[in-house]
Amino acid sequence: MQISTKENRGIMPKRALSSLFTWQKILMGLALVMIAIIFLLPIYRLIALSIQVDGSFSLANYTTILQDSKTWSVMGDTILIVLGSTTISVTLGIVFAWLVAYTDIRGKRLMQLFIILPFVIPSYITTLAWTQFFGANGLYEKLAELFPFSLGSVNLYSMGGIIFVLGFSHYPLVYLLSISVFRKIPREVEHASRVSGASSWQTFRRVTLPLALPGIASGGFLAFLANLDNFGIPAFLGIPAKIDVLSTYIYQQVVGFGPTAFERASTLSVLLGVIALMGTFLQWLLLRKSKRIETTVEDEKARFFLRKSKVIVEIILWSFLLLTSLVPLLAMGMTSLLPAYGVDFTWDHISLKNYQFVLETSPKAKRAIGNSVQLAVVITIIGVMIGTMFAYFRVRKPNRWNQLSEIVISLPYALPGTVMALSMIFAWMEPIPGWNPGIYGSVLILFIAYFTRFLILQVRGSITAVLQVDYTMEEAAIVSGSNSWVKWRKILLPLLLPSILSGAFLVFLTALTELTVSSLLWSSNSETIGVVIFGFEQAGYTTYSTAFSSLIIIFILLGFFLLYITQFLWNRKVARTR
Amino acid sequence: MTIKVQRLSKRFSSFEALRHIDFSIEKGEFIAILGPSGCGKTTLLRLLAGFLSPTEGTITIGDQEVGNPTKTLPPEKRNIGMVFQSFALWPHLNVAEHIRFPLQHHRFVSEEIKQNQKKRMGDVLKIVELESFRTRMPSELSGGQKQRVALARAIAPKPELLLMDEPLSNLDAELRMEMRSEIQSLHRLTNATILYVTHDQSEALAMADRIIVMNNGQIEQIDTPTEIYHHPRTPFVAKFVGKANLMKGKWTKDCFTPDLIPSIQWPDIGIEPDMKQLGYYPIRPEQLILTKEQSSNQAVPAVITSIQFQGKEMHYNVQVLGEEWQIQTGLGDPFDLGEQVFLEIKQEVLLSSTPTHMHYVY
Repeated sequence: MQISTKENRGIMPKRALSSLFTWQKILMGLALVMIAIIFLLPIYRLIALSIQVDGSFSLANYTTILQDSKTWSVMGDTILIVLGSTTISVTLGIVFAWLVAYTDIRGKRLMQLFIILPFVIPSYITTLAWTQFFGANGLYEKLAELFPFSLGSVNLYSMGGIIFVLGFSHYPLVYLLSISVFRKIPREVEHASRVSGASSWQTFRRVTLPLALPGIASGGFLAFLANLDNFGIPAFLGIPAKIDVLSTYIYQQVVGFGPTAFERASTLSVLLGVIALMGTFLQWLLLRKSKRIETTVEDEKARFFLRKSKVIVEIILWSFLLLTSLVPLLAMGMTSLLPAYGVDFTWDHISLKNYQFVLETSPKAKRAIGNSVQLAVVITIIGVMIGTMFAYFRVRKPNRWNQLSEIVISLPYALPGTVMALSMIFAWMEPIPGWNPGIYGSVLILFIAYFTRFLILQVRGSITAVLQVDYTMEEAAIVSGSNSWVKWRKILLPLLLPSILSGAFLVFLTALTELTVSSLLWSSNSETIGVVIFGFEQAGYTTYSTAFSSLIIIFILLGFFLLYITQFLWNRKVARTR
Repeated sequence: MTIKVQRLSKRFSSFEALRHIDFSIEKGEFIAILGPSGCGKTTLLRLLAGFLSPTEGTITIGDQEVGNPTKTLPPEKRNIGMVFQSFALWPHLNVAEHIRFPLQHHRFVSEEIKQNQKKRMGDVLKIVELESFRTRMPSELSGGQKQRVALARAIAPKPELLLMDEPLSNLDAELRMEMRSEIQSLHRLTNATILYVTHDQSEALAMADRIIVMNNGQIEQIDTPTEIYHHPRTPFVAKFVGKANLMKGKWTKDCFTPDLIPSIQWPDIGIEPDMKQLGYYPIRPEQLILTKEQSSNQAVPAVITSIQFQGKEMHYNVQVLGEEWQIQTGLGDPFDLGEQVFLEIKQEVLLSSTPTHMHYVY
């Protein structure tokens, strides 16, 4: 009986009507071709451009770039920044994951919310917040005055600043992946180690840590990739300080519009892409060999009791969390209420005129809000439909074609944003060589690029959703006489919706606040929120950029609140059986 | 209405799950499909439901051929109901909504039920004794109650054929016993034709009118529970259903001589001709007795290898001619581990034996 379910996961009978069968094959073939064109072709064109000069094959681009000493200093800075920030991310991630998973500290749910906060806020807004915190007349200076000795000033526009903000923005990745692994380690295996005579420290070193390694490693690699391809932080902090990393260097090549801008940019992109893919590959290798823990149940009960030091640990943790997630945002909010940058924050200085400028006066900002909302809404709706459809087939009828498709769909997201954006230009400027329908230069390129980049987010969310619904639930509906329309409407959609929604929310948020891709693909009249905030900041209008960013933060928090309420109401109704 | 399965085969790429299955079921029969896991019984059930299509052969429900290698009628167009091993309750619907669902969508619901949907729901809830639970969500129900909702959902539209896929295997032992009699009374009440898949031989023996014993994708025997138990026709059935010990030897007329002890002659106690043909003498644990001394020359020497006290009886494993046998005896005069003993066929078994065995023909 196991065989029948294993070999034939698909629940729909193979209706052996031969005509239908070929139709299915044709549709599947078409879908595969579409996937290849949308997700693979741009990458191919990017690579192709880097290995030709004047239309014929040549490695001259690479030799020129690799002989340029500037390339090597950019590479050096990139590696230094990525290694430094990843070290911070991994350390913070593991410490928090272990504390939340293992000890008996209180308020873990709220704590988790604060840990994830820097992750859901776009990194350029986090950067802006940190610069306001450490800026002239900022909260940091005020706090530093309270100390009897001098703390010195902090300049974020430096290597150290970039490393610091990157590391603090991406430790939630390590935290999230480590904590689920920590919780899945059966406490029996630790008890077995203690009974066999190992001390609690030896148990941690020889049992817990090796078992948690897959989670820590994959979290670490994700943080590595995030630090490598991040654009917002080095753009906001590095460009003013003339510190270049690969992602901002590529950006500057393209916006600099030199004679060989695209060739240089594509060559650098391939180099950056190779480094990123090497990271992904290394992670895949490591996870393939590592032994997975077979339990799927997360054990959320405390295993390590802090006793007397509990209160102290809690105070330290909360101070850290408030200081790193909430206080910078407050500092940014304060700047946004000031009439001019650097003015003291006092009651009679407070005004909402910056908000008025963003929402009413500035046509650019208004246009950007319109564009970004439109982009996010359309991409979310299309993503939910196509992503869920794909996820359904991927889970219910797994085969090597849709497995391959999933990998292909995830490529544009795995690639650094600047590289991805560049590949979009090459693919859609002239979709058929020699024919330029004007996609690049209009808002259309942004729609295509966002769809290509963010579809995988919805696919992942929907796959989780479909996996949660046992296939016998569908079979029960079918045996009860429902056709597939009724089955979807009455059984599948209600059951899938909560998880699909959180996937959709992620897509919506990411698309709404996107900066990297749009900073390369925008044109006048097709600005996005991220591009406009970046523009304000570069032009020195910090009060406007902080006001705009504060609006986004308020919107994100509101969205989370709504999502939370929806899921809470749903869970109360359904009260999950599993 | 009958269900007819003819030369049914199912292959999954290179694996042959079912091979040349033939049987038919009369209206109102309770049929158990019994076999170890991997024997193809669930595949057979899913073919009948329409979740799979046959590689070879045909399935007929009533006068409609619902499945053959070229055309398979999808499950929602078959007049069936199904109970799943995992219950497959929908977490977002309450008990009453579970029963209403098939009443709204099942294609074979009679006009009478359609017009009196409320009444039918009430009736079904009464049958499964869940009247006071109609607004409960699945998560608020116990295992047994969930099982009853699953049963109610399946019987609500009065399907011609009710398929049950190991419906009790997710319940604990005590509840399983309770649900057995509930399913039996449900069968009496509804008079539905039931096809019940299980790997538990006591479940099949206790509930079914007839049992289809399956192994390795093939049918071993189809018979009433008593016939299957007392007159197994294949070594597999003897071992799987009756837990019988098998002695290999020669049959001459109605006398059996084990290969390894030519001095012994055992009489026919109603052994099936097929078993005789294969040279087997199947004997169940409770048909044997152990003695400390060799009381007759028909006794076989053995050594006790394990002892299990079961309360009202003792279970012994003994080593007989290089094979492990099981024997169940009363509590009196226990034996020790490693003790040299002799085993014999019980007197009453020998006395009740009828060389011309009874055989119910269906």
